[in-house]
Amino acid sequence: MKTLLIKNAFVIDPIQHISGETMDIAVRNGKIVDDVKNPDEVIDAQGMLTLPGGIDSHTHICGTKVNFGRYMSPEDMRAGRTSRKGDMHATAGYSVPTTYGNSYRYSRMGYTTLLEGAMAPMEARHTHEEFRYTPMQDCLANTLFDGNWFALQAIQDGDTKRLAGILAWYLSAAKGFGVKLTNPGGTEAWGFGKDVSCINDPIPNFDITPLEIIVKMIEANEMLNLPHSVHLHCNNLGKPGNYMCTLDTYDAIPDINDKRQSLYSTHVQFHSYGGSSWNDFCSKAEDIARSVNDKPHIVIDTGQVMFGKTTTMTADGPMEFNLYRLYHNKWSNHDIEMETGSGIIPVVYRKKNLVNAIMWAIGLELALLVDDPWRCILATDNPNGAPFVKYPEVMALLMSKEYRDKEFETLHKSTGRRVALPAIERELTWDEIAVMTRSAQARALGLIDYGKGYLSEGAEADIAIYPIDVDSTDPARDYERIINGFSTTEYTIKRGEVVCRRGTCTLEGNHSTYWVKPHVSPAYDMSKDAAFIDGFNRYYSIRRANYPVGEEYLGRNVCMETEASI
Amino acid sequence: MMKVILEVKERHKPNLPIEAECITPKNFLDPEREFHVWKGNKELDITDIFHVRKDGTAKSAEQVEITIRGDSSHIKRVGEYMDGGKILIEGDIGMHCGNFMSAGLIEINGNADSWLGREMHGGKILCHGDAMDYAGSGYRGEKQGMRGGLIEIMGDAGDFAGETMAGGEIIIHGNAGDMPGVDIKDGRLTIMGDCSRPCGNMSGGECRIFGTAYDMLPTFRNEGLTAIDSVQITRFSGDYMSRGLGTIYVANCKYMD
Amino acid sequence: MQEIKDMICPFCGCLCDDITLEIEAGKIVSTDNCCTIGNAKFLGKNRLKNPIKKIDGTWTDITYEEAVDTAVEMLLDADRPLLFGWSGTHGEAQCVGVHMNEILGGVIDNTTSVCHGPSILAIQEVGHPGCTLGQVKNRADLIIYWGCNPIEAHPRHMSRYTTYADGYFLDNAFRNRKVIVVDVRETETAKVADEFIRIKPGGDYAVLSSLRAILRGKSDMIPDSVAGVSKTQLMQVADMCKTCSFGALFFGVGLTMAKGKYKNVRNAIEFVDDLNRHTKFTLTPMRGHWNVYGANEVMAWMTGYPYAVDFCRGVAFYNPGETTAIDILARKECDACMIVASDPAAHFPRACVEQLRDIPLVVIDPFETMTTTIADLQIPVAVTGIDAEGTAYRMDGIPIKVKKAMDSDYPSDTEILTRIYNKMLEVKGL
Ligand code: SF4
Ligand SMILES: [Zn+2]
Repeated sequence: MKTLLIKNAFVIDPIQHISGETMDIAVRNGKIVDDVKNPDEVIDAQGMLTLPGGIDSHTHICGTKVNFGRYMSPEDMRAGRTSRKGDMHATAGYSVPTTYGNSYRYSRMGYTTLLEGAMAPMEARHTHEEFRYTPMQDCLANTLFDGNWFALQAIQDGDTKRLAGILAWYLSAAKGFGVKLTNPGGTEAWGFGKDVSCINDPIPNFDITPLEIIVKMIEANEMLNLPHSVHLHCNNLGKPGNYMCTLDTYDAIPDINDKRQSLYSTHVQFHSYGGSSWNDFCSKAEDIARSVNDKPHIVIDTGQVMFGKTTTMTADGPMEFNLYRLYHNKWSNHDIEMETGSGIIPVVYRKKNLVNAIMWAIGLELALLVDDPWRCILATDNPNGAPFVKYPEVMALLMSKEYRDKEFETLHKSTGRRVALPAIERELTWDEIAVMTRSAQARALGLIDYGKGYLSEGAEADIAIYPIDVDSTDPARDYERIINGFSTTEYTIKRGEVVCRRGTCTLEGNHSTYWVKPHVSPAYDMSKDAAFIDGFNRYYSIRRANYPVGEEYLGRNVCMETEASI
Repeated sequence: MMKVILEVKERHKPNLPIEAECITPKNFLDPEREFHVWKGNKELDITDIFHVRKDGTAKSAEQVEITIRGDSSHIKRVGEYMDGGKILIEGDIGMHCGNFMSAGLIEINGNADSWLGREMHGGKILCHGDAMDYAGSGYRGEKQGMRGGLIEIMGDAGDFAGETMAGGEIIIHGNAGDMPGVDIKDGRLTIMGDCSRPCGNMSGGECRIFGTAYDMLPTFRNEGLTAIDSVQITRFSGDYMSRGLGTIYVANCKYMD
Repeated sequence: MQEIKDMICPFCGCLCDDITLEIEAGKIVSTDNCCTIGNAKFLGKNRLKNPIKKIDGTWTDITYEEAVDTAVEMLLDADRPLLFGWSGTHGEAQCVGVHMNEILGGVIDNTTSVCHGPSILAIQEVGHPGCTLGQVKNRADLIIYWGCNPIEAHPRHMSRYTTYADGYFLDNAFRNRKVIVVDVRETETAKVADEFIRIKPGGDYAVLSSLRAILRGKSDMIPDSVAGVSKTQLMQVADMCKTCSFGALFFGVGLTMAKGKYKNVRNAIEFVDDLNRHTKFTLTPMRGHWNVYGANEVMAWMTGYPYAVDFCRGVAFYNPGETTAIDILARKECDACMIVASDPAAHFPRACVEQLRDIPLVVIDPFETMTTTIADLQIPVAVTGIDAEGTAYRMDGIPIKVKKAMDSDYPSDTEILTRIYNKMLEVKGL
C-alpha cells in the first residue's frame, strides 16, 4: 500500500473542469484518493504544470509492421543509441526506435497510455510480445478488419449481427481493443495489386463497397457496446484531391452513440488534399474542418507532419506502393492473408519541398480550425507524419502564432498561396492543449470509465508534472520554454509510482494491456460456428485452434468485458 | 609541428580488436584531453595499448602528424572523422580506417582491413599494400557510400570496392575483387588490373578498368572503342536493368554465357 | 495412449501447426501429418541427462547450480564474449539472451549470419515486398523457387502453401498454378516444375539483371545466352512473370550464399519490385531453422538490429562481416562463447571451430552434438515443442505459440538463461 502526496500542483484537468488550480493530489495504491496520512513519498510540485498522464490515441510502436521498420533500417538505428544504465535498458533508433526507446521517450514526455494504431489479428501475438517490452505505458491495440474475408462476407450477406459476432471473436482472440479500418476494401483489392479510389468503388471479388464496410462496421461496433468507436483510416490517403472522398465519407457516417463519437477518423491531414495533381496540390483543411464542426459524432486526429527524416508505415499496402513509385526509396510490403495489408517506406519531409510544406500547414490548420478541441486530437500518426518526440514542437506551434510565422518564413516560397495558415490567428490555450493530448483521447477511447485521463478520486494515478510555470510563461512568446517544458517532465507518475524523473526512467514500469471481450449470445459465438471454423481451417495457413493469443502473453492486463446486444 | 608516435605494445590477447577512434590529429591539439580506447568491453587508457610519444606543439590539425608503429592490424577506426593533418601507419591497419574522413592524409605502408574510408567525404588515403573488402563503401542500409576525397590503393582491393559510391575517387593499382562499384551513383573508380562483375546497378558515375573485367554483366551496352591516355578501351553505358546513366571503360572483358 | 492435435513442428521455417502426436508413458511414440525430418526431431534421442563440465579434459557430471555458476564465471571473465545460436529456441529465451548481452558487453548473433544474413542486408538496402504464406496459397498462380529445394529442406512447403495447396482463388492448385525452379543443378523440386532454369554457378546476378532489363523493354541488348540460360527462356520467363495475376518468389541459400551474396538478393527484390508495376508479385526467403526468424524479430525490437549486434561498448553496433559470429571466430576476435540451441561445430569452417575449441565455451542444448565435443560446459534443457513451450516466428513473420506435449524435469531455455542472467546481475551488483 504505497502512498504519495503531490503538493501545490498547478493542475489542469479538463475532464474535471479544473483549469489551473493549485492543489494537492493524494495517491494510494496506484489510485488517486481524497487524502493520505503520513505519505511514503511527498513531491513538491510548486509552480509546475500538472496534467493527467498523456495518452496517444494513434501511434505505431509495436508489432510486425513497426518491427519490420526496425529490421530494414539499420541507418535509423545510428541515432538515439544509449547503453544500459541503472534500470534502463539499451535503446537505439530515431523514427523506429526499439521498444525500450519508444517507451522511455514517451515516458519522458509524460505519456502513460499508448494505442497501437494497427494490429493485424493474425499477428497479434507479436504486438503483445512487444507490449511486454514497452514497460512504462499501458498499451491497447486497434485491430484491423478492413479486408477480413469473414467480415466482408457477412456484409455482403447483409447480416450485420453476424458481422458483430465475427468482430467479437477476433477482438477477444487477438486481445485487441478497437475496430480499425485501413483503406477499407483497398487492402483486399491490393491482394491482386489493385486499389479502390473511394467509398463507392466496388471491391474486386466482393459485391460490396467501402462505404458499406464503413457503415456496417459502425453498426456492428455499437452492437458490441465497445468502449471505442470504429477507428477509420479513410480511402485514398495521400492523393491530391482526396478531400472529396473524406467529405463524402463523413457525410455518410451515422450518429448512433450518445456517449461518444460514432467515428474516429485518423491522421486527417493525409486526407485533406485539394488539387488534381502534385502540381496544383493545395490544402482543403478548411472544408474538412467545417464538415467536422458540423458533425458532433466525428472525432479526428490531425496526423501532423513535421520536417525531417522519418519512416512511413501503414496497413494501407497500395498507398505505400504509390509512395514507393514517387520517392523510389526502399519499399516493404506485407499482405496478411484474409485480413489486411501493410507497407513501409522511409521518407524525408523537407521545408523546401512545396508538397511537404503544404502538408505541414494542413495539420496545423485542422487543429486550429476545428472549433472543439475535444474532437481534434494532436498526433503525428507516429512515425508517419513525424516521430512522436516532435509533439512538444507541435504544441508550441499551436500555442504561438509568432512561432508559426517564424517557421513559415523558412518554407518553400509558394506555400502561402496554397494554404490558409498564415491568416489564422488562433492560439491554443493551456486547457486546449491539455484536452488535445490526454482528455480528448480518454473520452474518445472510452477510457474515462477505466479511470484514465483525469485526476480526481478513483482515477488511475497516471500523472505528468512538467517544469512549466504557467503563470510566468506566455506561450505566444516563450515557445522555446513550451518545447523544453513538454519535452521532459519533472516527474512522470504511472499507477502511483514515479517512473521517470527529469528524463531518467527509474523503474521497470507498471505496464498493463487493455483488451475487450464482448459477450455475445451463443448464436453469434463464432467459436461454435461450423461455417466459420471450416472456412478458417481451409483458407488460413494456420489452424484456428492455434490462432487466439493466450492470456499468458499479456502479463498484467485489464479485460474490458462488454455485453453485446446480439 | 607536432609529432605523435604511437607504438603498439605487446598484448596478451593480440587478436581482440581495439577500437581507437580517438586517434585523429585534431584530438592531440588539446593537451588536457584524455585518450580512451576500447578492448572489447573494457575501456582503457591509450597508454595501456600504446607507448605514446609527443614532440612539439601545434595550433591546428594540419600541423599534427601521427605515426603508428608495431602490429596495428587489429586497431580499428583510426582516423575516424579526421578533418586535417596526417596519420602514417607503418604496418597494417584494422577495419574502418578513415571512416567519415573529410580532410588530411592517411598513409598506410602495409595492408588495410575492410571498410577503408567508409563514407569518406574528403581528404586522401594512400594504402601501399592491399585493402580488403568494402574500400570506400557505405554503411548497411544507407544509400550513399564515399562522397568525396581520394582512396589510392597500390596493391589489390577485395570485393565490393566503392560499393554505393556517390562521389570522390578510388584508384586501385592492382586487381579488384568481385563487384567493384556495385550500386555506384557518382564519382570515379579506376582499376588498373582485373576484376569481376563491375558496377552492377550502376546509376551514374564512371568506372575505368585497364585490365580484364570477368563475368561482365550483360545489361551494359557496348558504345564502341575510344581511348584513354592512348590506351584503346571500350566504352559501355548502363546498367540498363535500372536507368542506365553510368559509364564503364573496359580494356578487356569476358562474359559468362 | 494419448493423442494431441494441432501441435507445432519445431524443425523448419514452415512451422507446420497441424501435427498430431501420440504419447505413451511420457514419450512421443508417433506423429501424424509430419514430414520425415520433423518426425525425426519429435522422436529424437541422445538427450543429455544432466549438466556436464570438462575438468582436466574429462567430462564430469555437475548440478544445474554449479553449471550456472560456471557459465557466469566464464562469461563475466571475458573481454569480448560471443553469444551465438538462438534460432533453435523460443523467443522468450532470446529476450533473456539480449538482456544478458547488455550487461555482459558482448556480441549476440543468431544463425542468420550463416543462412539468410545476406537477405537481410539486401532488405536493408531496398526493402521487402512480401506477404504471408496463406496469401500465396489463396492467390498465387505463379511460384518461383530460386536456389532452394523445398522437397528436401522444407518438405511440406509445397503441399501446405504452394504447388499442391488448394486456395480460395485456385480450387485446383496443381493444375492452375505454374512453378518455375531456378537452380544450378536439377534438384528433386526442379523435376516437378513446369519450367526449370539451370544457371551456371555464380550466374544469378546476371540472370536477374537480364530479366529486369527485359521487363524494361531492353531485350534487344540481351545476348543469346546468359550464364547458361538461353535468351528464349529468359524472354519466356519474363513473360510468365508479367502476365500472372499473383506471383510468389521463394529463395534459399542457393541464392544468398552464391557469389555476390546479398547483391543477388537485392537484385531479386528489385526484380519483384519491377514486376509489381505490371502485376502482383511477392518474395519470401525460405528460412531454415524453425525460429530463426523469431531471433531476428526479437533482436530487432530489443536492440534495433536483427542479428550480429555488438554491445561491447554499451550501445549497439551492427556490421555483418565484422560483428557476425563466423567473422569474429575466424579472426579470433572473441575470448569466450556461449552457444544456445545450435551446433556450429557441424557447420562452421574449420578456423571457426578451432577458435571455439580454444576459448571457454558454454553450450546450452538438449542434445549431445558435434559442438559438445569442443565445449567446456554443457547444460541440457527441455526441447521447445516437446517439453517446453514458447513463441516462434514462421518464415513469413507469423508468430505462433509452440506448445509443449508433456512436462519433464529439464528446465526450459528461458529458465536456465534467466538463472544465469540473475546470477550475473548479482555478481555485478546490479
Ligand atoms: S515441413 Fe518443416 S515444419 Fe513442417 S513438418 Fe516438415 S520439418 Fe516440420
Ligand atoms: Zn496510423
